[in-house]
Amino acid sequence: MIKRNQGDLQDQKVTGYQSVLGVTQTQTVRLPGIRTQSGHEFAHVDIAYQTLGKLSPARDNAILVCHALSGNAHLAGLHPETGRPGWWDYHVGPGKAIDTDKFFVICSNVLGGCNGTTGPASPNPSTGKTYGMSFPSVTIRDMVAVQARLLEHLGIEKLFAVTGGSMGGMQALVWAVERPDQVRVCVPIATCTSHTAMQIAFNEIGRCAILTDPNWNTGNYTDTCRPEHGLAVARMVGHVTYLSEFSMTHKFGRNRQSATEEMFSVESYLHHQGQSFVKRFDPNSYLYITKALDDFDLFAGQPAAEVLSKVHARFLVVSFESDWLYPPAQSRELVRQLKRTSVPVTYINLETEYGHDSFLINNPPFSNLVRHYLDNEYHRE
Amino acid sequence: MHPGIYDTVLDWIPQGARVLDLGTGDGAFLQRLVHAKKVSGEGVEQDAGLVARCVERGLVVHQGDIANGLDQYGQQAFDYVLLLGTFQELVSPADIVREAFRVGQQVIIAYSNFAYIGVRLQMLLKGRTPLTLSLPLPWYRTHNLHFLSILDFRDFCRDIGVNEIKCATFNARGPVRYLPNLRAEESVCLLQSP
Repeated sequence: MIKRNQGDLQDQKVTGYQSVLGVTQTQTVRLPGIRTQSGHEFAHVDIAYQTLGKLSPARDNAILVCHALSGNAHLAGLHPETGRPGWWDYHVGPGKAIDTDKFFVICSNVLGGCNGTTGPASPNPSTGKTYGMSFPSVTIRDMVAVQARLLEHLGIEKLFAVTGGSMGGMQALVWAVERPDQVRVCVPIATCTSHTAMQIAFNEIGRCAILTDPNWNTGNYTDTCRPEHGLAVARMVGHVTYLSEFSMTHKFGRNRQSATEEMFSVESYLHHQGQSFVKRFDPNSYLYITKALDDFDLFAGQPAAEVLSKVHARFLVVSFESDWLYPPAQSRELVRQLKRTSVPVTYINLETEYGHDSFLINNPPFSNLVRHYLDNEYHRE
Repeated sequence: MHPGIYDTVLDWIPQGARVLDLGTGDGAFLQRLVHAKKVSGEGVEQDAGLVARCVERGLVVHQGDIANGLDQYGQQAFDYVLLLGTFQELVSPADIVREAFRVGQQVIIAYSNFAYIGVRLQMLLKGRTPLTLSLPLPWYRTHNLHFLSILDFRDFCRDIGVNEIKCATFNARGPVRYLPNLRAEESVCLLQSP
């Protein structure tokens, strides 16, 4: 059972969790492909997505939510088979931060992912075999290009808002910069314009854990013999970076499951996180997506002022004081660059003590802030 | 601050001006300016709870410290920079006012007058740090770092080389026209760089 602020909704024991949205569906559509930044031509791409709420007659109330590294298209509501809540169920639904009574909300699995959208685990149409490591390298910009395909398909010319945390925030930034006429409001959360050496370093530890797992077999593993050990370790390292010292002390301290148990609670928690992650995530996807994160550079060597001068969107930038993986200083730098190019930007650094995960947990101050901001901006003339 | 201060500032600022409000609090006054004068306003506030209140009001607001938060604004990005009630809390007021003149054309500052008769009498007769409507907190709880009089403020302006264009002073009974340094509790000034 999830207690308040006890964690995010992924890989949790969700006994008794109720979603106001009830059961929600995710669908998949096959659309004309894109040319990736690396030059690969996808003839077509499959895109898994979820929509919630209703598109207004003026088609002006669409919000695209972009997911982070381990997220997927199942944004909110309960999964029809597993009964698990979507990764942002705390913040998406009637009367919530992203109010499905007011907005038409879209979330799709990223290119390179493994939950329905074309990725390394998909069959390569030219060989009929799984792509594996022959999958072309993907970038955050490629992910956005695929999302743009989906919006065309859904008949949405202009988004009211685009938002996301962490990697989702990077996608939101790319939307605002590359498709300035299609975005009214941009809400990047706990994110940055490019990774620092420390952020790359943690990802590299994760990648190494997978690459050195004997079962990885240069990416050509089978369903029965996957590098699960490596992926589990990658997830464990990742998970630690999403928490804070406070949240770990608060949640585990030096407790053990029982007096006779050798393992500390934090150890069994990490093992559980690793084990449940391997069941739903493809190891090669983890390699490709973390690489896309590390390679991301919003400005790509151009002066920030030049890149941002194209932006038409208004911004709400949110960071969390306890987030040491994407520290507030990175958000402040983004805000500074936006302000210098006269983009209207509101910035808040919330005191939430739960680290990078602060945007995924039940967090009423965060939720209220986003709800009020979107509501006011939607009614702004 | 005395309500007259806010009415005065509202009166001074023309329609459609670009305004930066330093220490905007819950944004109540900035919102008034936006509604009454259609200004394009932005607030700077340190307290996350107050920033959230500003967001509820639909204001553009930046959570940050005035002392190191002004360098993100371009030269002359604003017509007016406001320091209403926060002036006395600044560690280095001269630096901030100079920075304010870099990002804005005119600067409006409101502060409490420490030479007000009530303050003088409390000091003289009671021998204690004065408590007044405009200086309501005891010395150990006030955010004010500086205590100044209207005459001191004039010296300050002369010293940093800015001109007082307009000035209005108030006490509990309303506007004060005669002997403001003695009779006014609060003062608001519109400053311009020569």
